[in-house]
Amino acid sequence: MDKAFLRRAVRGLLLLLVVVFFLFPMFWVLLMSFQTNQDILRTPPSLAFTPTLSNYVALLSGKITTSVGTLPVEYMKNLANSAILSAGAVALSLLLGVPAAYAFARFKFRLGEDIAFTLLSFRFAPPILVLLPLQLYFQDIGLYDTYTGLIWVYQLITLPLILWIVRGYFEDISPDIEHAYRLDGHSWFKSLWKIAIPLARPGIAAAGLLAFIFAWNNFVFALVLGSADVQPVTVGSLAFMTASGIQYGTIAASLILSIVPTLVLALYTQRYLVEGLSLGAVKG
Amino acid sequence: MATVQTAESTVAKRRGVTFARALPYLLSLPALLVCIGILIPFVTAIIYSLQRYNLAFPDTRAFIWFGNFVSLVTDPAFWNTVRVSLEYTVLTVGVELLLGLAIALLLRERNWVHNTISVLLILPLMVAPAIASLMWKLMTNPNFGVLSYLVSLVGVQNFKWASAPSSAMFTVVLVDTWVYTPFITILLLAGLRALPKQPFEAAELDGVPATFVFFRVTLPMLTPYILTATLFRMLDSMQQFDIIYSMTQGGPGDTLTVFQVQAYLEAFNFTNIGHSAALVMILWAITYVLSTVFIKNWLKLRAKARGQS
Amino acid sequence: MSSRKVKDLVKAAHDKKMGRRELLQRVGALGVGAAATSFMLNGLATEALAAGGPDFKKFQGKSIRLLMNKHPYMDALVKNLDNFKSMTGLNVTYDIFPEDVYFDKVTTALASKGTQYDAFMTGAYQTWKYGPARQIVDLNHFIKDPKVTSANYNWMDVTEGLRASDSWDGKAGSKLGGPGSHQWAIPWGFELNNIAYNKRIMGELGIDPPKNLPDLIEKAAKISASGKYYGVGVRGSRSWATIHPGFLSAYSNYGLHDFVVQGGKLKPAMNTKESKEFHKMWIEMIQKGGPKNWTTYTWYEVGNDLGAGNSAMIFDADILGYFQQNGTKEAGNIAYMPFAANPQASKPTPNVWIWSLAMSEFSKMKEAAWFFIQWATGTENCTFGAVNADLVDPVRDSVWKVPEFQARLEKSYPGYLNQFQQSIGQSRIYFTPQQLFPEFTTDWAAMLQQMYAKEIPIDEGLDKLAQSLERKLHEVGI
Repeated sequence: MDKAFLRRAVRGLLLLLVVVFFLFPMFWVLLMSFQTNQDILRTPPSLAFTPTLSNYVALLSGKITTSVGTLPVEYMKNLANSAILSAGAVALSLLLGVPAAYAFARFKFRLGEDIAFTLLSFRFAPPILVLLPLQLYFQDIGLYDTYTGLIWVYQLITLPLILWIVRGYFEDISPDIEHAYRLDGHSWFKSLWKIAIPLARPGIAAAGLLAFIFAWNNFVFALVLGSADVQPVTVGSLAFMTASGIQYGTIAASLILSIVPTLVLALYTQRYLVEGLSLGAVKG
Repeated sequence: MATVQTAESTVAKRRGVTFARALPYLLSLPALLVCIGILIPFVTAIIYSLQRYNLAFPDTRAFIWFGNFVSLVTDPAFWNTVRVSLEYTVLTVGVELLLGLAIALLLRERNWVHNTISVLLILPLMVAPAIASLMWKLMTNPNFGVLSYLVSLVGVQNFKWASAPSSAMFTVVLVDTWVYTPFITILLLAGLRALPKQPFEAAELDGVPATFVFFRVTLPMLTPYILTATLFRMLDSMQQFDIIYSMTQGGPGDTLTVFQVQAYLEAFNFTNIGHSAALVMILWAITYVLSTVFIKNWLKLRAKARGQS
Repeated sequence: MSSRKVKDLVKAAHDKKMGRRELLQRVGALGVGAAATSFMLNGLATEALAAGGPDFKKFQGKSIRLLMNKHPYMDALVKNLDNFKSMTGLNVTYDIFPEDVYFDKVTTALASKGTQYDAFMTGAYQTWKYGPARQIVDLNHFIKDPKVTSANYNWMDVTEGLRASDSWDGKAGSKLGGPGSHQWAIPWGFELNNIAYNKRIMGELGIDPPKNLPDLIEKAAKISASGKYYGVGVRGSRSWATIHPGFLSAYSNYGLHDFVVQGGKLKPAMNTKESKEFHKMWIEMIQKGGPKNWTTYTWYEVGNDLGAGNSAMIFDADILGYFQQNGTKEAGNIAYMPFAANPQASKPTPNVWIWSLAMSEFSKMKEAAWFFIQWATGTENCTFGAVNADLVDPVRDSVWKVPEFQARLEKSYPGYLNQFQQSIGQSRIYFTPQQLFPEFTTDWAAMLQQMYAKEIPIDEGLDKLAQSLERKLHEVGI
């Protein structure tokens, strides 16, 4: 048997196993989102069921019918909140983090490593540590229950991540192109904007996407620091667990809906994540 | 390239030099300033940890300095928390790193199949860990769970998943792996794809065996990415809350009472703020030490990697 | 449609001169639907409350804000909220949080001394922390004041055991509802613990409903041995939720206590000889006839299994069984019975969970918040909810006597009314009130899990638990 063929077959098989492991639960959740609770809670579980759109309808229309009557549902609002908070947090982090990452990568300045480490150390702050006092202070300075306050607190999650990932990418880009560009008379800003950032795009894209995902999946900050008006989907999904039972079908549908924005973002940045670079030519 | 120095350009250069020296600070300071606000709650938390502070006993609030810490360190439950948290961290980071690297290597070649798979693989990461836990809890339910069903088909009856001490750690590590391996995969894949082609092309031309290339060329070049990914995963795993709390609230028994789960219970259920703050301070200290060690090595390894390539 | 005619019909029903079904028929003939009728009935009742004395319009134009759990009771309340608004002219806004995170939200909201929320839903056990923490208001001041409480409020109509269970004087070990107690919360809806079983499954296996705990253990084991189902569902997660339903009800039936008071201090009592015997039985029951993944079982899992026909019985909240009678696979097959675990006890002694309304100490609209609490827990609102929606179990004695309510229960929930009537006289909170409630129940549940997994022998486990609890009590001086 041809060694190359064997190797490819093994690779293919391994990839298949990987795909099955990671995607099977997603597939199952997708199926659940089209089932009624009765179908889901069947022993043993089976693939035969009558599909229904009622779960999605409930989420999109804001009303869910259960055995205790029709209840209102706030899910679309939660989705909007998640989008605002995550996008806002990542945008701010990119704005603050990319230049900082550039500074750490390109310049060897005193205190450089210290500042970098300090910024990273904010990631170590266990959220609970921060939450207990924060809820008191936020009330006093009027940031309780505001998007601004939450986006600020979200920086604890998004900024260190973006900073350290993008820093790694900047460091890997050889400074030669930039030096050449600078010597041609362009400013450092232009150099950053026109050369460094485009070259580091995969890193920035990866970092931005990951930061968005982590911000999106957070729930404890909004729970403690905001009223029901600003709750993201992570808290909102739990609303389908009430005394009269867990609406698994609706939770599944809410999960699928909550993935959509992130998926769209991932598809958009995918270009950058997998695009080829001319780095090879530069690094030599 | 020769530069011609004139009187004006010297002055300009000196001004430029001052600016150049200030520049990195100017670039990094905004980030620092925005985050500096965190110091205030942080200091407050330190103060809490030095007090006997339980909301249900408001009249006994007082400074007891290291009293909380002493009480923690002399409590066997605390050492159980330390052990379980470290075990969880080592297992999750270890498994996810190896698995993530393997997958990244599998997907290295650029073609549409690989590209599609790499995007699909991000899906588990997009699921909020608390909801992922809920879904896995349903899937491992002995009656309704599809996983229990499938596992029973291969002859394993009554697998206890998260409800028995012997398999609880396995189950939560499994869920964590499912959610977070894609994180490592993305970082490493982007890193792999950013590697210069030349050394690999040269090695292929020279007929260098694949394993040698992997260990002597690929890995060292990937090291900074591996270290970054590991660092973040390690920090997150030490602080794991969502998955474990959703699955078992730290049970069965004391099998999964990791730091943040215990601290959360102490703060929000038991309203014992002082104790909770002390616990979290210790967690913070541990993560600080681990990260410092890590970063020092990161810097050393980078320098080495640079030297090698 | 003559609205005068509709109003007369509604009034007749309100005055109990006409049954609800007849009312709906006649009103329906005039073109008005059930929901609108309900609203009108509640409107009349609200008027009755308003006629009882206080100046309810005192805070006209102002606002109050509620922090509520996502729960059927709240949904029922929202439907009638407009009646409250027209009675008082108050603007009512509310924040609803999912149950899983609800209590944590309340704890942080109160801990932050925030003024955003005026009133909120809570259980009795939580008030054992909020009360001593000086975060909630003693509502006795309002109840006794005729200037703010309507003569038609009828506080005494609320079942005595429930009124007492929501009040405590703040001293560890005191009798609930005893002299000097503060009324920390007003009962709104409650649950008592008994057995709900699947008639079909029991019939199929030829097993009669169990008479007491040893009988239950034997029968549950038999059912589980059959292979198709398991015997009895009970909760097992690492939290207070595992201790307070069936477990404590059975425990108390054997005359056992969680703590005893010795020399003014609490002493753990779960390691007495009798308690150890009881624990052995309880663990045996779960091991032989309980759910396989018991340690992850919460309210939801216990209910789901009954509703889906996986378990033959549950020993948990009566309303948990009640909710499985609709919209599930086994709908229509569930029956209810009172359960006295101790073969030597003549009557059941269920522990209760009481959803109640409390008032934040930091509220700036306390009187207005009291108007709300009064209205929500008034007779009319409760009757409404019980007859029309699923506001069970109602906390007022009078509601249980309403013929339509009784008829509705008898028709679709066989045995439910009977289990209530047999149990209500002995239903109350059997825990010894103290500020460390979550701590000790969580530890107790964790220990149960360890004993179940055979990680530690029962005798040793309970001794260890008692020792650790004694240390914790000592640390806080109770």
